[in-house]
Amino acid sequence: MPVENPSRELILERIRAGLRTPVAPHPGPRSDAVIFEPIRNPLERFQQESTANLMECTLTSDLAGAALQLGKILDSLPAGEIFLQDDPSLRRLIELTKTQRPLRWSSEGAPREASEATVSLAEALIAQTGSVLVTAECGGRGASIVAPCHIVYAHAAQLVPDLETALGNLFRSGKLVRNSFACVISGSSRTADIEKILVQGAHGPRRLAVILQTGR
Amino acid sequence: MSETSAQEFLRKAAVKSADLVHRDIIRQGIESYDAAHLRGRLRFRDWDAARQKCREIKQEAINHLDKYLLQFEEKVRARGGHVFWAANAQEACQYVTDIARRLGVRTVVKSKSMVTEEIHLSPALEKLDIKVWETDLGEFIVQLRNEPPYHIVTPAMHLNRAQIADLFHEKLGERIPGNDPTKLVALARRRLRQSFFSAEMGISGANFIVADSGVIAISTNEGNGRLCTSVPRIHVVVTGIEKVLPRLEDLAVFWPVLATSGTGQAITTYSTLIGGPRQAGEADGPDEFHVVLVDNGRSRLLADAEQREVLHCIRCGACLNTCPVYRSVGGHTYGTTYQGPIGSVLTPHLAGLRQYQHLSYASSLCGACTSVCPVKIDLHHHLLHNRRNAVNSRGSKLGERMMFRLWRSTMLHPRIFVFLSSAGRRLLRLLYRMGLAGSIVDPMRAWNRYRSPVPLPAESFRSRWRKGLAG
Ligand code: SF4
Repeated sequence: MPVENPSRELILERIRAGLRTPVAPHPGPRSDAVIFEPIRNPLERFQQESTANLMECTLTSDLAGAALQLGKILDSLPAGEIFLQDDPSLRRLIELTKTQRPLRWSSEGAPREASEATVSLAEALIAQTGSVLVTAECGGRGASIVAPCHIVYAHAAQLVPDLETALGNLFRSGKLVRNSFACVISGSSRTADIEKILVQGAHGPRRLAVILQTGR
Repeated sequence: MSETSAQEFLRKAAVKSADLVHRDIIRQGIESYDAAHLRGRLRFRDWDAARQKCREIKQEAINHLDKYLLQFEEKVRARGGHVFWAANAQEACQYVTDIARRLGVRTVVKSKSMVTEEIHLSPALEKLDIKVWETDLGEFIVQLRNEPPYHIVTPAMHLNRAQIADLFHEKLGERIPGNDPTKLVALARRRLRQSFFSAEMGISGANFIVADSGVIAISTNEGNGRLCTSVPRIHVVVTGIEKVLPRLEDLAVFWPVLATSGTGQAITTYSTLIGGPRQAGEADGPDEFHVVLVDNGRSRLLADAEQREVLHCIRCGACLNTCPVYRSVGGHTYGTTYQGPIGSVLTPHLAGLRQYQHLSYASSLCGACTSVCPVKIDLHHHLLHNRRNAVNSRGSKLGERMMFRLWRSTMLHPRIFVFLSSAGRRLLRLLYRMGLAGSIVDPMRAWNRYRSPVPLPAESFRSRWRKGLAG
């Protein structure tokens, strides 16, 4: 429903009028210096940073190893439904775990509030900050926030060295034109609002586990 | 006669700076921030280059603000989102309350947003009998206390766990044994979870709005911002027009810089980008997405070329944490939405120079704020600019003018200077001897009231100089 917005032109006009007076350039040096240390070994850096972010990162060499790992994580969780991104690779993976739990796929809608865990893919893994980049295509918005445990199945080939590369790729791929949501996730949900003491599992997952497959 | 803002500031400052419990809580909080901030800066190869880069990007954004806002608007509209431009607080609140009324909203979940505090959005919604839940833990705590946020990043920084446990006991009816922070967080989580899943509307702010991609960026650690923007069927973003960044890739430096300056983290846990309602084929997300771009005095500040850079602020809170005045008087003393150095610079522009000019004097001009600001805003000089503007606009008081005239002629006439300084020393010595230091008749009362009296030298600098400063 279009809403009348008379202030739009007014604000734009005020901005334009204000900008007619230019500002003097800042005397500081131009920032051509290197800001972050270059990343030489993305896998090693990702492991270090994700550990510092209190994530779990397990390397596996193949699909069978990944399924074994996923099965172990699921076994450690209380009984309940698992929500999964509807993707052929995850259908194959969950089949291999032979789990008896009720499953809900993202093609059926949002995760239920009582889901015990969610399983999704990622768009990229970012070594610099030990982060997982997801978009709405990775099972939707709720897939990485609603359940107390979020499990990400990723391949080593998805590793990028830094945020700049990840964001540059995201922009160039046009994914943000098609997706209404993306998120760089760097650990489990947390707060330090009480006396700056770190507590995990504020509103989102207490646990973020990455199963990182190095082989095909 | 009711108290002016300046009188209120002085009264509250006097109480707070003598409150030792408060001082202890703030000292501990800021010490732990300082250590994390220092460690965080060491993660950069060149922290100063990062600050410079941020400054340049913000300068480019602000100096082409019209172009970038229009670019952002076009991209959001292309995804089916709505963009509303609000000239002032009233228009912004009206727009949001109209949506709430039209769609029959009963419950709203909010993630932390200083702009919504600035425009007083929650009271406007509550007038319609809508229940508003603050979902950031710190905000939730101050909401239960019926208080405004104490700090722009850590709203409940002034409370210790025992006070929070007492509050939860009183308001939520549950006593947490041992005031355990983990259990306190779990209690808040349980309570707020019901609200996330029953609310029809989620309201968030935006840390950045990205022009080339038409997305807003929100940084949260708790994930409350994620739930507010994922579960309810309406998502409303309320943000200032100055939050623009030109390119998505700019976040590669802004995200780490904001996190480092805000909390000392390498990056905030959830660095989220949202550009519209749920798209075809997406599993979830709101059906409606609205962005309210709030001016409310910002375009006026933009027109002031000397102070335009104040719009570069990314609200990291670093200048508050480092400010010796903020550390002593605390956030609530300011009586403003934005506290500390940035609040003292910004508030006179947003809420009126006449009422808030005193804040420019709540500073020792030590420059600590400027030295930490990640976008290199020359904060302490802007405090001076505000002082000058205040004097130019209201003129000075007669007493003040007379004192300055006296000071001027004293400085220009060495004999008068010698006479007055020697008379002053004698007078003070006499008062001290009579035990009147810090009393109402002591000209040094402002200092001597709370401290041991300033020691008086036996002879003046002048006479020592004549003797060759010997001895
Ligand atoms: S003025 Fe600078 S230091 Fe202060 S909140 Fe804004 S960006 Fe941070």
